[in-house]
Amino acid sequence: MADNYSELSFNEAKDLLRQWRENNERKSDEVLRVWSVIFEHGVKKLGNEKHLVLEQVFYAALDCHYYTVASYCSLMLQEEFPGSFRVARHVAALHEAQENYEEALNTLNNIIRLDETNAAARKRVVAILKAQGQIQAAIKELVDYLKKFMSDVEAWQELSELYLQVQEYARAAFCAEELLLHQPHNHLAHQRLADIRYTMGGVENMELAKLYYCKALKLNPENMRALLGLFLTTNNLLTHYKSSGNSGKRKEAWRLCQWAQAATARQTRARPEPNAAPLANAMLQLAITD
Amino acid sequence: MAELLLDPNIRLWVFLPIVIITFLVGIVRHYVSIILSSQKKIELLQVQDSQVMIRARLLRENGKYLPRQSFAMRRHWFNNEETGYFKVQKRAATSQNPMTDPGMMTDMLKGNVTNVLPMIVIGGWINWMFSGFLTTKVPFPLTLRFKPMLQRGVELAYLDASWVSSASWYFLNVFGLRTIYALVLGENNAADQSKIMQEQMSGAAMAMPPDPKAAFKAEWEALEITEHKWALATIETDLLASFVEKEKTH
Repeated sequence: MADNYSELSFNEAKDLLRQWRENNERKSDEVLRVWSVIFEHGVKKLGNEKHLVLEQVFYAALDCHYYTVASYCSLMLQEEFPGSFRVARHVAALHEAQENYEEALNTLNNIIRLDETNAAARKRVVAILKAQGQIQAAIKELVDYLKKFMSDVEAWQELSELYLQVQEYARAAFCAEELLLHQPHNHLAHQRLADIRYTMGGVENMELAKLYYCKALKLNPENMRALLGLFLTTNNLLTHYKSSGNSGKRKEAWRLCQWAQAATARQTRARPEPNAAPLANAMLQLAITD
Repeated sequence: MAELLLDPNIRLWVFLPIVIITFLVGIVRHYVSIILSSQKKIELLQVQDSQVMIRARLLRENGKYLPRQSFAMRRHWFNNEETGYFKVQKRAATSQNPMTDPGMMTDMLKGNVTNVLPMIVIGGWINWMFSGFLTTKVPFPLTLRFKPMLQRGVELAYLDASWVSSASWYFLNVFGLRTIYALVLGENNAADQSKIMQEQMSGAAMAMPPDPKAAFKAEWEALEITEHKWALATIETDLLASFVEKEKTH
């Protein structure tokens, strides 16, 4: 299966590319191999799909650092659509892949100047800043972007991650909460917020982290990371309540802690994965003998 | 009543030409409308407004998943009397009259040019050119009520209602060829795809409220009366209980 792309007929190659395009499969290496089949037969024969295939191959070529192929596709598209912003973004992406960040930023800023509502170009600017390691600048740009496009979930997630990189946990938590507003049924969103709260520390945050871990587990009982998180938070709370003498809450935390431990053990037994066994052991080692 | 016989020349020189003319005009109109269609320009402010509305609505719906403090903080940001977003942002009420918007005017004009004008011109020409012919007969009896519909231009009181006049045949074609167009021009073929290529994808949520001022006010009110109900208050016991139940059933 892996190596017989060169034996495909033209139509099969075309169909394969379309299938990958429609399923949003990246498969850059494979795309390039199929592309060589199509290229032999001539791009003209693609008919209506020509430009879509060119774009697909363009991004695949960028992934694999075949810049000659990429610039060929980009030039073909530029010839066809000289004024298109989408094609201008390709030019920027080509510069970006070759690490000509100045050129890429120039192109993107041009797009933004001409079309203020071009969200993709604005996000690309943030990505370039991040690639250059200018996290603060990237954060500033992204905050600016989010002021205008407030319901962009991916942008909130990215901002949360950027804040985590510079250890601004409170702000990262705010972004994670925003993520939660958009996807309240995504257990990973709950888990992410809980992770941040746990990292922030303090009794109040621990309590919140515990609740969010519980919610994540409720949504997906097999979320191992949430199980471990719940275990750690309850452990942490136990020590706190032990010293402050809040016996009611302590009992509750104890029960949750026990339950998390049991659930982990049960899942490890149910799915004997090579990675799962050490986790249970690690949790046992962390456990406080009460 | 004696059966009418139609001259075969009517079939060759009236019936078929009308079909072909309407079909070709439809095709030409399709391409002309493609040439004339203009990219809808979206204002940044409109995008921002619609996205703010989505965010406020989500806060109302899913705010229960946030701690009370976080919820209050966000509501404060939207609704505060002095600094709240919905209070500070002043939007000019959009004029109700589309005539004042030049973009709307050109759109209307283009719609007229491509849709109404050919209809009038070709229809008038066909009425003048082929007036007074009976072109065909529908193969089933019809009541008198159908006479004005099917026999436009031929006002004979005693003619059977199933005969179709040339002008009516034209109108039947105009409305009946729609599916043929879809077959010939395609509905979602690659021609549309390459059109998307030309324009830039502007992302979801581009539909803007027609009047941001009123929409902001409504959202402000809705948010103001939203009560925070912490959804995770009993999650621990729920979690434990649900698993205990599961244990029992196993």
